Amino acid sequence: MKQRISKYSLITLLTASILGGCSKSFLELEPRGTQLEANFYKNQTEIYQGLVAIYDVMQWGNSGGYTMKMPLLTVASDEAHAGGSDASDQPSWVAYDNFPMLDPYRGPQLGLWQKNYSGVYRANLFISKAESATGLDANFLSRTVAEAKALRAYFYFDLVRFFKNIPLIVGPIPTSELYSLTQADPADVFAQIEKDLTEAIVDLPLTIPVSENGRISKGGAKALLAKVIMFQNQDARMGQAAQLLNEVNGSGVYSLLSNYGDIHNPANRFSSESIWEIPHSSLSAWGDWGWINGGEGNVGPQFIGMADYSGPTYSAGWGFAPISLDLVNAMNGDPRFEYTIIDGQALKSGGANYNERYQNTDYFIKKYAPMQAFRSPVGTAELNWPYNEIEIRLADTYLLEAEALLRSGGDAARAGLLLNGGPGFEGVRSRVGLPPVAVTLANVYNERRLELATEGHRFFDLVRTGQAPTALASKGFTAGTHEVLPIPQQEIDVTKNSLKQNPNY
Amino acid sequence: MARKRKRNVTGAISSVKATDLENMPVFRVEQSLQGRVSGLTITSASGQPGEGSTVRVRGTTTIGNSDPLYVVDGVPVNGGIDYLSQSDIASIDVLKDAASAAIYGTQGANGVIIITTKKEIRSRKVNYNGFVGTQAPWRKLDLLNATEYATLLNEANLAAGMAIAYPNPSSLGKGTDWQAAVFNDNALIQNHEVGISGGSERSSYYGSFGYLNQDGIVATSNSNYKRFTARFNSTHKIGRIATFGTNIGYTRTKSQGVGTNGEWGTPLNRAINLDPITPLVETDPTKINQAPYTNSPYIVRDANGNPYGISTLVTSEILNPIAALKVGQGNGWSDKFVANGFLELEPIAGLKFRSNIGTDLAFWGDESFQPLFYLNSINQNVDLNGYTRNSNRGMYWIWENTLSYTRSIQDHNFTVLAGTSAQKNYGESQGGTKRGIPVERFEDASLNFSVPQTNQFFWGGEYQTALSSLFGRVTYDYDGRYLLNAIVRRDGSSRFGPNNKYGVFPSVSAGWVISRESFFGVSDKISFLKLRGSYGVNGNDRIGDFRYVSTIGGGRNYTINGVLIPGFSPNAIANPDLKWESTSQLNIGLDAVIFKNLSVTLEWYNKKTYDMLLGIDVPGYVGNSGPIGNIADMENRGVELELGYNGKIGDVSYSITGNISHLRNRVTYLGDDKQFLGGQTFGPQGVEMTRIMTGYPIGSFYGFTTAGLFQTNADVANHKNHNGDLLQPNASPGDIRFVDINGDGVIDNDDRGIIGDPTPDWSYGFTLNAAWKGFDLTFFGQGVAGNEVFQAIRRFDLPTANYTKEALGRWTGEGTSNYFPRLVRNDPNMNFSRSSDFFLKPGDYFRIKTMQIGYTFRSNTLQKAGISKLRLYVMSNNLATFTRYSGFDPEIGGGSYGVDRGIYPQARSFMVGVNLGFN
Repeated sequence: MKQRISKYSLITLLTASILGGCSKSFLELEPRGTQLEANFYKNQTEIYQGLVAIYDVMQWGNSGGYTMKMPLLTVASDEAHAGGSDASDQPSWVAYDNFPMLDPYRGPQLGLWQKNYSGVYRANLFISKAESATGLDANFLSRTVAEAKALRAYFYFDLVRFFKNIPLIVGPIPTSELYSLTQADPADVFAQIEKDLTEAIVDLPLTIPVSENGRISKGGAKALLAKVIMFQNQDARMGQAAQLLNEVNGSGVYSLLSNYGDIHNPANRFSSESIWEIPHSSLSAWGDWGWINGGEGNVGPQFIGMADYSGPTYSAGWGFAPISLDLVNAMNGDPRFEYTIIDGQALKSGGANYNERYQNTDYFIKKYAPMQAFRSPVGTAELNWPYNEIEIRLADTYLLEAEALLRSGGDAARAGLLLNGGPGFEGVRSRVGLPPVAVTLANVYNERRLELATEGHRFFDLVRTGQAPTALASKGFTAGTHEVLPIPQQEIDVTKNSLKQNPNY
Repeated sequence: MARKRKRNVTGAISSVKATDLENMPVFRVEQSLQGRVSGLTITSASGQPGEGSTVRVRGTTTIGNSDPLYVVDGVPVNGGIDYLSQSDIASIDVLKDAASAAIYGTQGANGVIIITTKKEIRSRKVNYNGFVGTQAPWRKLDLLNATEYATLLNEANLAAGMAIAYPNPSSLGKGTDWQAAVFNDNALIQNHEVGISGGSERSSYYGSFGYLNQDGIVATSNSNYKRFTARFNSTHKIGRIATFGTNIGYTRTKSQGVGTNGEWGTPLNRAINLDPITPLVETDPTKINQAPYTNSPYIVRDANGNPYGISTLVTSEILNPIAALKVGQGNGWSDKFVANGFLELEPIAGLKFRSNIGTDLAFWGDESFQPLFYLNSINQNVDLNGYTRNSNRGMYWIWENTLSYTRSIQDHNFTVLAGTSAQKNYGESQGGTKRGIPVERFEDASLNFSVPQTNQFFWGGEYQTALSSLFGRVTYDYDGRYLLNAIVRRDGSSRFGPNNKYGVFPSVSAGWVISRESFFGVSDKISFLKLRGSYGVNGNDRIGDFRYVSTIGGGRNYTINGVLIPGFSPNAIANPDLKWESTSQLNIGLDAVIFKNLSVTLEWYNKKTYDMLLGIDVPGYVGNSGPIGNIADMENRGVELELGYNGKIGDVSYSITGNISHLRNRVTYLGDDKQFLGGQTFGPQGVEMTRIMTGYPIGSFYGFTTAGLFQTNADVANHKNHNGDLLQPNASPGDIRFVDINGDGVIDNDDRGIIGDPTPDWSYGFTLNAAWKGFDLTFFGQGVAGNEVFQAIRRFDLPTANYTKEALGRWTGEGTSNYFPRLVRNDPNMNFSRSSDFFLKPGDYFRIKTMQIGYTFRSNTLQKAGISKLRLYVMSNNLATFTRYSGFDPEIGGGSYGVDRGIYPQARSFMVGVNLGFN
């Protein structure tokens, strides 16, 4: 009897276990707490989260190398040297400061390439998902798609400025073409950027409520479109640029701040002068050096701060981008000097101290210098500086409009107002109490240099106006080569030469 | 899956028995295997109490996770096996070839280590084993003292055209000995184990308790380990046909740890690099009243209220290690239950059904407190303190059922077995931080304190995987002469998509016991001789979950009007065709017993891993990460020899065992046109030190080749290319001469190549046991040969970092050195900032792991008192290490494998112990 029971139980157990071992559903686990791409983007909340992911890329400072545009482009121009602990500290920055050192492996290209194509990918994905989603509010859809297009244009504008010859991707890449895309005619890239911005302008709001600070406005897209047109440097199109800039500058939405020093006060976010501003915060209290983009902080201030600084006001940084004596001399006596450049010797005589680093000049960037009052109390402070980046501000568009007017033979009087100011009109120079100067292209260019110093405009201004070979001669800049960066060698390798290297690299 | 008698084994299996381990206390199972069996390369991650080892069975099998599978009493155990107390172990079997591991299918590719705990001792017995001891570093580095440091800094400044920093170096004296501050030369250790066993014909049990308390020899206040273990194993016969048993183990650990091998501010890396001029504690009132000591109210102070020295010379992470230990406080803990229960039925002789349910339930976590502090301008927390706790729960279960039938018909013996197995692994984690709690010390920190909502942070996650398998085995032998074993296993894993969920892994092995052949006859010289061979395929699914679909990831956030808005986008491109990684292995072995008491085992194997699971590179213009794909191939080949001899000379009985293994690892394929994967880097500049490159061993050292130093200006001028251009225009006499490997006429990054290998070609071990009357002696040594260590202990990016005394032999003029370059502050020739063979040192070593002398008391008095065994012993672990390597320790495992960044060395310890048995 006992034996019989055991036999039955044995068979029962065996059956049960074989069923358990074979059951297919046992292996089909649903990921918990993780959404699948296939069923995401199905409602307004998820679509919006997809849009946020595109915006996110704008504030990346590290994606295969440090690429914070404001200090990096300052280093590439005649405004600053690379700095850091020594020449091996950030070789990509050193190479961008010393153009003959740029090669397919060395330079900031990989980080810039990856960052901007990540933005393009997210924008493309968003546009295709949003346009196929159903049941969305029409206003929501048109505005978010317009933002995605403006952002795609933003990323492509950086790609075409930095690299010129790039693949143009505006949708999903078929698997069969993953490794075999080729570079587009730059004219087609510019055309796509202009198309995206032109379409975006229609649906973007003129003003952004405070609760949405950080999103793109009509003025932002228009100003960017004008910049894109002017970068192509055709006098025939300067009239079009002037018109767009006139619409921005005259929109009534923006005004110059009366105090120049307030523009870059980190506490003074989204001021009336700001047109396109990239927010940063220490809200995502990040402490992970392995994934710096996971946070929302700006690493730029940490880079350019005085090394091992001790003293009042400022916080210690890593000593990158020491200001060149060229810029110091150019700004001598200018009322904007004290808001633009820190005089290290003066600080030292006041009792503060810092260590001199590579290429030290004792002059440092002030507009986004790290300050104790803003040092992040959470996460790794170095990665979490809550300093917004102002990509486009009114003084920039004033001077661009003045330039476009002069180059298109437009209203010289308005160009003069924008540059110098006049009765009832605050211009760039009158705002800081400077006397008028002759309304010449040379003076407009010079004003841009002084007004916008260290904000990341100078390098591309020199390139687009053809002044780079002379202005950057001492850094080894060669015309026809260093206007653009080399295509990252990794890209050429992984595509098996489907992508071609830029000339002379 | 029962153990087979060694004579009938057809695969490559090495075993260690309890009796081999009994007299050699170690704290982790890996350590008891190191040097004891062939085919294993075991490298301690560091000497920190509780730390594991890098264990490789027959080399690195895969670029991903190459750790072997540990199976304890039939339960595959996750998350390390430090929970086992050594005296609970009855035996350890290492399954090295594919055919032996095949029954573990998917998870056997990296080798399987099977551990069986003690049971089934029928007589009542109580045992106590215990020891206490002291540990110390076996070697310290010779670093420059303050005078030497200042002298060399002056020299480096002058060479760079800068002013000297110290007009009178000798006035600085010896300065601070940071190593003395960090090391503990008397770190205590104690271990106590009590085992109780007993039973009857029908029922037997084994129970034990263990306690281990080990202090670290580095930064003891922050580096220590406590472990409590309890175990209860029992077996019962029910009726005539059923056997039922359970094995239940519980372990609790509590530990504190410091960084063990890194350049980002571990205690030892700081002790090596920090200047000897800065005092440990600043006592000079004038200096205390100046910057940097006045920079912050949160300067860290000693018990007397004096500030710990803050260096103004060396900065960044390299700061006062003792001050840093005061503010970096935390600990880790774990509670782990590993248990299984089985029921075995044998209704008819030879027909067995066995069902085994096992679980591994683990809880683990950590807590840490960050007070307000100011260590230097970069390392400070002057706003709010913070207290963080993390806790995790992991649950794993396995249910395995087998049906087997064993029968012998004349000389034909066979067993057929069929089985199923289902496994599930899931868990979750949660953690949180409260900032600004009203306490100042770690001991007082608690999450009970209320803080504003904005100062509370919470996070968490979860995971789950499932595995389901069917398997069958046929074992056959004819007269113990011809042996055959065939296994097929089909595994399904939740980690793969519907199209590739299942993998089939077959294997076959055979043996021929030549000594049983009639033609062999009876030989005095060779009493046993067996030739065997095996071939099989194992799988690997150790990748993240749900990698075959495109999942959406968070953290793509953006700040809108000062509020963090969450953003989401796909984590990577999908790869629906993801499938199993496979490893095949051919093994040929020979077992012999010669002259009755010399046993010999010889193995040869060739192991190939293919379809290796790796991230696929996609062009950057794709804008997202590539998926995991089946990409690379790798190969391991080796030979192994194990010898054992028992003998007796007069009253002295002795045994000698030894083993030696040779291993050759090659990465054979990394994908089309892909030549390498990046590896370890050093410092903020991320200098590449290792690469995974096709044609070379995994993780080989990568860098420039050097050819001595330039002795004269003529030497620099003569180092030129075919056009007559200088190869090193920035060099001066005393700088390193780099070799233009690719001959393109310039020295640049393209001249880097593979310069060395961190994995030993040879591993060996040697044990001598001898007994004379009541005395016994154990000598056990272990070593490796044919590997290099990358010595990266100095932070070259900090020009004021300290040097070892090796720098005193630097080049100072023609003929002074052809090895150590001149010192120049800005190092224009990049002598120290390029990875090169200058940093490579031979990694060979031989270590006397255990030396023990014991005495066993035998007297009737003891017997009458119920004491069956009383043995006292003295022993030393790591008594001596013979190596040409000049760092703290040549043995460098873990994540920084083979790269010495100031490794936390293994301790040399001395212990006294007692083994006590009661009837």
